[in-house]
Amino acid sequence: MPKWAMVIDLDRCTGCGACNVACKMENNVPIVDPDEAQNGRAMFWMDMVATYEGEFPHTEAKHVPKPCFHCDDPPCTKVCPVGATYRNPEGLVGQIYHRCIGCRYCMAACPFTAKVYNWYDPKWIDGAQVANPDVSQRMVGVVEKCSFCAHRLQKVKETADVEGREIQENEYVPACMENCPADAIVFGDIDNRNSKVSRLSRSYRVFRYMDDLGVKPKVYYLARRTSS
Amino acid sequence: MEIKRRDFLKLFGSLSGAVVLGEYALDEVMELPEGIIELAKNGPGVETWQNTICGLCPAGCGMRIRLIDGIPVYVKGNPIYPINKGGLCPLGLNALHSLYHPDRLKRPMRKNQSAGTSGWEDVSWDEALKTVSDKLVELRNTGKPHHVAFLGHEENGLMKRLIERFMQAYGSPNYYQCSSAQNNVVPYALLHGHTTMPTYDILNARLIVSFGSNFLEEGYSPIYYTKLYSHHEEQRTRYVQIESRLSLTAANADQWVPILPGTYGALALGLAYVLIREELYDKEFVQQRMVGFEDRVDRSGTRHVGFKNMVLGNYYPEKVEELTGVPSSVILQLGREIGNTRPSLVIGDHGAIDNTNGTYSAMAVHSLNALLGNFEKEGGIFFVDEPPFGGFKSVPLDATARKGRSQDPIGLSKGNAFPLTRFSIESFTKNVLSGTPYPIDVLFVLGGNPLFSALNQKEFSQALQKIPLVVSFDNMLNETSEHAHVILPHDHFMESWGEVSNVTSVGFTHVGMQHPVISRVYDTRHTGDVLIDLAKRIGGQVSRAFPLKNYEEELKRALNGVYNSGTGAIVTEGVGTHWIQFLRQRGWQIGQYASFDEFWDRLIKQGGWWNPIRKTKRWGQVFRTRSQKFELSSQALREGLDKLVVKTGKTNSAQDREFVLSQLNISARGDTVFLPHHEPVPYEVDMPLHLITFRVLSVRDGQGAALPMMQEMFGHSVRRYWQSWAEINPKTAELQHVRDGDWILVQSDAGNLKVKAKVSEGIMPNVIAIPFGLGHTSLGRYAKGHGVNPNSIMKNLYDMLSGKPATQATKVRISVAT
Amino acid sequence: MTQRSGAMVDRDEILFRPIYFTGKGFHITFGILALVLLWSLYMYVTQLSSGLGLTGMNQPVSWGFYIVNFVFFIGISHAGTLISAILRLSKAEWRRPITRMAEVITAIVLAIGGLHPIIDLGRPDRMLNLFTAGRLQSPLLWDVTSITAYFTASTVYLYLPMIPDIARIRDRGGKMKWLYTFMAWGWRGTKRQKHVLNRAISILMVMVIPIAISVHTVISYIFSMTLQPGWHSTIFGPYFVVGAIFSGIAALLIVMIAFRRVYHFENYLKEIHFQYLGTLLLIMSLIWFYFTFSEYLTGVFGAEPHEMHIIMYKLTGPYAVFFWGMILCNFVLPVIIMSFKKLRTITGILIASMGVVIGMWLERLIIVVPSLANPRMELPAGMYMPTMLEWSLFAGGIAVFVMGFMIFSKFFPLISIWEIEEGRTHGRKEVEERIESYLPAAERPG
Ligand SMILES: Nc1nc2c(c(=O)[nH]1)N[C@H]1C(S)=C(S)[C@@H](COP(=O)(O)OP(=O)(O)OC[C@@H]3O[C@H](n4cnc5c(=O)[nH]c(N)nc54)[C@H](O)[C@@H]3O)O[C@H]1N2
Ligand SMILES: Nc1nc2c(c(=O)[nH]1)N[C@H]1C(S)=C(S)[C@@H](COP(=O)(O)OP(=O)(O)OC[C@H]3O[C@@H](n4cnc5c(=O)[nH]c(N)nc54)[C@H](O)[C@@H]3O)O[C@H]1N2
Ligand code: SF4
Ligand code: SF4
Ligand code: SF4
Ligand code: SF4
Ligand code: SF4
Ligand SMILES: [Mo]
Repeated sequence: MPKWAMVIDLDRCTGCGACNVACKMENNVPIVDPDEAQNGRAMFWMDMVATYEGEFPHTEAKHVPKPCFHCDDPPCTKVCPVGATYRNPEGLVGQIYHRCIGCRYCMAACPFTAKVYNWYDPKWIDGAQVANPDVSQRMVGVVEKCSFCAHRLQKVKETADVEGREIQENEYVPACMENCPADAIVFGDIDNRNSKVSRLSRSYRVFRYMDDLGVKPKVYYLARRTSS
Repeated sequence: MEIKRRDFLKLFGSLSGAVVLGEYALDEVMELPEGIIELAKNGPGVETWQNTICGLCPAGCGMRIRLIDGIPVYVKGNPIYPINKGGLCPLGLNALHSLYHPDRLKRPMRKNQSAGTSGWEDVSWDEALKTVSDKLVELRNTGKPHHVAFLGHEENGLMKRLIERFMQAYGSPNYYQCSSAQNNVVPYALLHGHTTMPTYDILNARLIVSFGSNFLEEGYSPIYYTKLYSHHEEQRTRYVQIESRLSLTAANADQWVPILPGTYGALALGLAYVLIREELYDKEFVQQRMVGFEDRVDRSGTRHVGFKNMVLGNYYPEKVEELTGVPSSVILQLGREIGNTRPSLVIGDHGAIDNTNGTYSAMAVHSLNALLGNFEKEGGIFFVDEPPFGGFKSVPLDATARKGRSQDPIGLSKGNAFPLTRFSIESFTKNVLSGTPYPIDVLFVLGGNPLFSALNQKEFSQALQKIPLVVSFDNMLNETSEHAHVILPHDHFMESWGEVSNVTSVGFTHVGMQHPVISRVYDTRHTGDVLIDLAKRIGGQVSRAFPLKNYEEELKRALNGVYNSGTGAIVTEGVGTHWIQFLRQRGWQIGQYASFDEFWDRLIKQGGWWNPIRKTKRWGQVFRTRSQKFELSSQALREGLDKLVVKTGKTNSAQDREFVLSQLNISARGDTVFLPHHEPVPYEVDMPLHLITFRVLSVRDGQGAALPMMQEMFGHSVRRYWQSWAEINPKTAELQHVRDGDWILVQSDAGNLKVKAKVSEGIMPNVIAIPFGLGHTSLGRYAKGHGVNPNSIMKNLYDMLSGKPATQATKVRISVAT
Repeated sequence: MTQRSGAMVDRDEILFRPIYFTGKGFHITFGILALVLLWSLYMYVTQLSSGLGLTGMNQPVSWGFYIVNFVFFIGISHAGTLISAILRLSKAEWRRPITRMAEVITAIVLAIGGLHPIIDLGRPDRMLNLFTAGRLQSPLLWDVTSITAYFTASTVYLYLPMIPDIARIRDRGGKMKWLYTFMAWGWRGTKRQKHVLNRAISILMVMVIPIAISVHTVISYIFSMTLQPGWHSTIFGPYFVVGAIFSGIAALLIVMIAFRRVYHFENYLKEIHFQYLGTLLLIMSLIWFYFTFSEYLTGVFGAEPHEMHIIMYKLTGPYAVFFWGMILCNFVLPVIIMSFKKLRTITGILIASMGVVIGMWLERLIIVVPSLANPRMELPAGMYMPTMLEWSLFAGGIAVFVMGFMIFSKFFPLISIWEIEEGRTHGRKEVEERIESYLPAAERPG
């Protein structure tokens, strides 16, 4: 059984924000009203954590794209009263929108602020079919978050099934990775020691956010190199 | 986002609630015509993929569109297109929202006089075109074809040629492109005679020093640059970013060197000082390929100061430190570093040149490349060959056209300003307003939104109002097209034929193909077709200049040339560096297509054609100056100024020269005038802060503001959604008693605006930066009324030589707004 | 008003009075509260139709007033059953006039508090999922279970000791006889009945104590089972329980003082009762402070950066007003009032109690919001501003509380009459005997 994981190379990533938008377009993530967005309700499955470190003129700016980390021991699924967020055997942490009762406990429990909520009924293109037809649209009152583009895995599996073969490496590619102009995102089966993710996850530059919590995020970051 | 205590006191103080039901503005983000909804709901669900070129900015990224039953539902980058190799910027990814935008113009419109100034009425294409062609015919019949002007924007390739052909045949000298490319090229033209921007071999350089060029965000092709930036597999290129603000490029650089606005040229010359002093420059290149480095004694025995002594005498580190705010230790370090690292490249753009001294600054920056011998070699600067388009035999002009063409261009300055460009928006506006040398009766505006981006917004809008017939091709009403009388809406790029070739600064010859991916959603037309139609309606020689049926045929004709050239290849999978190396040895040609039709089909299917192999060039082709050398002391500049001197018509040429120089606000005298040097910017002394602007990927120069998702992305990283903000340094903030998140009033001599402060360590003290792109009063429901337009408080200043708007020349003061 | 048949005038007649006489003040107050309730119901309907967007919650502050009030109300509910059970268990004779009111508080407030998580749901229509797809591993489900258990136990515990009183009202005749007949369950006051009732009460009071403790422990688990800084703390269980009892006592005191005034119960709720409960309040205040101190000291001493960030946010940041307000209300105010004899009047105690109720509400706010507002990731701090909707529902909750009490007082005696009587008849003797039993046996000569 593969275990899906992601590596984001912060040395390559420029912080261009294409992944934020690619994800929104791929997953039909709603646009909210301007005031709503300003009041902390903008919905990004792939967020951008932008910070400054150091004091002028020795300022360092950091841009860290942040999806859901698909923790291997996810604190969010543990607390869900109805099992509307769950971890599947391949390590994907999913949401069942039609089961979610909207208690937002999982949001409160996620140490990485990875989940967003439909504060209102999201409005989209009329004739919703003109959005990405592969992804269902959500409704008011449920939590959603990065799914590692699980619908793409589904598609790939179906194709592989029909063709009677295994899924190839690089066949299952999330939208953010596919669109990253810097090729900073790598995705794959981390249990396969020969895969690129696995290789990169053993790089000397690798780190995970809040590793000490023991939730085992499956999104690894490669620290920036600076050449002097 | 800091939370303010007083906000929390509000918690109890007022029961201010957001109980505003139904205030959810984005009810339906996008709007679709009935037919499409019907198809989307009941179609069989057949999936297809098509390639095209993104048309949301001139950067020319390849785009792949997913269609279900012929309806675009998804876009991504074309992975085999060499510019972007599968990546798209946020704006490009949002292209569907521009296709389905609810405020797109659905058919031609005409201002209805009786309905007041803002009243529009729908008209048929025939009627609209008749309105325009009647006027055009009338002007030609009365011998005034030059009363027609055409303001283009970023169009290049065939579209540009088509408009040129139209204006020629019609008989007007007044086709201009109101974009920075026109002005930006001036310094390069002065130094080495080129009329296109140079290309930088970023991939092979080991050190890149950028003077204000925010190429990852504001560059000519940001995704192309991002690809280059991130591909440092084997060795990590070192990036140094010199800029007043920690832009995205600076954030990714290894070193950020903050510098005071308007002093980039001085710093470049400071680095030149180090190179010269420590003899780190390319002596061979300087000796053989450069003019004006050493002092020179002319025939009359006068000694002319060369670049070397001018630099050594004036740009020693202590002085440069004083001018630029960059510590002399950093100047020494940087100078030594570029001198000792090879190949090292220097790029100057944006911040470095958006000022009154921009041309001189760009010359100073570029002179470093010359000192490093960075021409026609790996990790250096080169020039890309034009695509081998097929053309037309030019049709001879008729007498009316010849007469019209010989008139003075209206875009040229009357007085002593901007001697080196054919067009500046400032001169154009002044001439139109004064009606000299002749009035403008018809103005075509294609693309862009000059009224939004200009610095002389008030005057420009008056000029527009003075013109009896303004024809716009916009497919959405914007600030400029609100002033039009007739709008002939252009197709969306997904609906029309087109080509995007040789995008500025991209390092290979290429032609990207656009084709109708979806049949027209509304009753719009391709501007090319419209011009051809107009020409036919005018008849005579004008009509004869357009023998082909439509723009599609024109495209085919052009690409036939490419096919016949036998060079380059249709973009394909798996083109890596090694493959290119291999091909370079083996020679590079197509050969595998039996006919043009086969070539054409393949071309449309794959998305484009390219040729990464450059023709080897002789030095005479590299440097197109009279001396065939890199002219540090610019002969072209000397000639340009001389012409002005002659034009002033005084007797004493020394006095005339003095007069011209003071008119241009050039403070240098003598030989220095022709050398790259630092010109002080006429800043007000009593204003404490430099106002600078920057653009972000999602909104670019304002167009993205029309799309709701781009508004949301605009300030996502600083959590200012759909809003503008002003970045200031904590020290400045303290001095001005401003706290993060406060509303501040930014005042200049030209006006004021209110914006929220963002206190940031990523900007120099005494500088304030406001993103450009928001603050629209038009451009659809999502753009209107959000944020501010910093250009509206900028002083009406221009580059003294090129006429480029000086967007960093204004100083402001700020105070907490109540 | 209904005229009683017969001339039977009870010794404790005043305790029956509210059932038979209703003044104008009652109607006005009730009317106003009903309007508040109606308004809040209307607001809730708007929330149902538009979504939780009408609240001030957001990302990352995904919980706000509803959860704060949930914890707060459930905390108050500990007034009752727990205090009365403990007092009963410890045979504190002075409890007799107090227990009923305490138990009523529990029943009403528990109902209000228990509704809050439902109000907070984005999809209340899918509540049934809790039963069809409920995961017992989720602390939220522990809550559902323990609150249900507590509610059941405490209503039964309220009801059982009411039976003899209900029978009396039945016997007095008058309005709604059928109700009292039904509820009296055929109580005739036989020896056997008395024995069974006493047994049942004894069993319940022993049972109810762990259930009550479990309720607030489990509520604390909602927070402490997550890894969030400021929440993930082992001390939270007892801390919450102590806080609950603390706020419960304060609420009880307020209710007692109010009804004492309104219904002239001065003869029953005597100075001494307030002094005793006041002492309990003081003790709880000290215990509460001890827990608070431990909670924050360990945090500060450990100085784990995220934990520290939250603590500083509370101590010196935007929430400092609330934090120090809480310390003032929960500690400084009650301790000062209770320590000085001069201040320890009924008014003083009322002020202290109101302070504690407010302080404990602030404590809930300070626990819920700052941890959410300061994500561990380097994201900007969120901010939370409750909207009119949330204030309205808060007001609605309080209205329901007062209205519940008012209605109760119109049907049942607020002070357990039979227990007072029992005190008169058996209590004295029993206490004497008990005291006797404490003392050393008289020395026998030889
Ligand atoms: N991410 C991103 N990518 C981009 C862009 C972006 O904004 N964001 N912009 C794209 C565009 S539009 C460009 S131009 C390139 C590079 O853009 P650069 O050349 O690097 O842009 P600037 O130098 O900032 O632009 C200077 C300007 O010239 C124009 N102009 C105004 N008045 C006149 C006039 O009188 N005469 C002439 N000739 N021009 C005038 C503009 O209004 C303007 O102020 O990058 C392109 N790529
Ligand atoms: N402070 C500051 N000011 C700047 C700049 C800066 O960097 N700083 N940058 C400057 C630069 S480089 C530029 S280019 C200007 C640009 O600023 P603008 O002139 O505003 O350029 P765009 O936003 O590209 O213009 C988009 C408009 O063109 C229309 N359009 C799009 N495609 C087509 C088409 O195919 N046909 C027709 N007919 N219309 C079309 C759209 O509907 C839209 O109305 O801003 C300049 N101003
Ligand atoms: S798209 Fe790639 S480069 Fe851009 S922000 Fe995301 S990860 Fe970074
Ligand atoms: S990052 Fe958050 S939402 Fe994602 S799996 Fe981990 S805890 Fe759950
Ligand atoms: S909000 Fe939905 S997914 Fe999250 S814990 Fe509650 S029911 Fe589960
Ligand atoms: S993996 Fe898919 S869902 Fe997750 S951030 Fe990337 S695009 Fe979005
Ligand atoms: S840079 Fe963005 S907007 Fe411009 S062509 Fe590329 S994808 Fe399109
Ligand atoms: Mo531009």
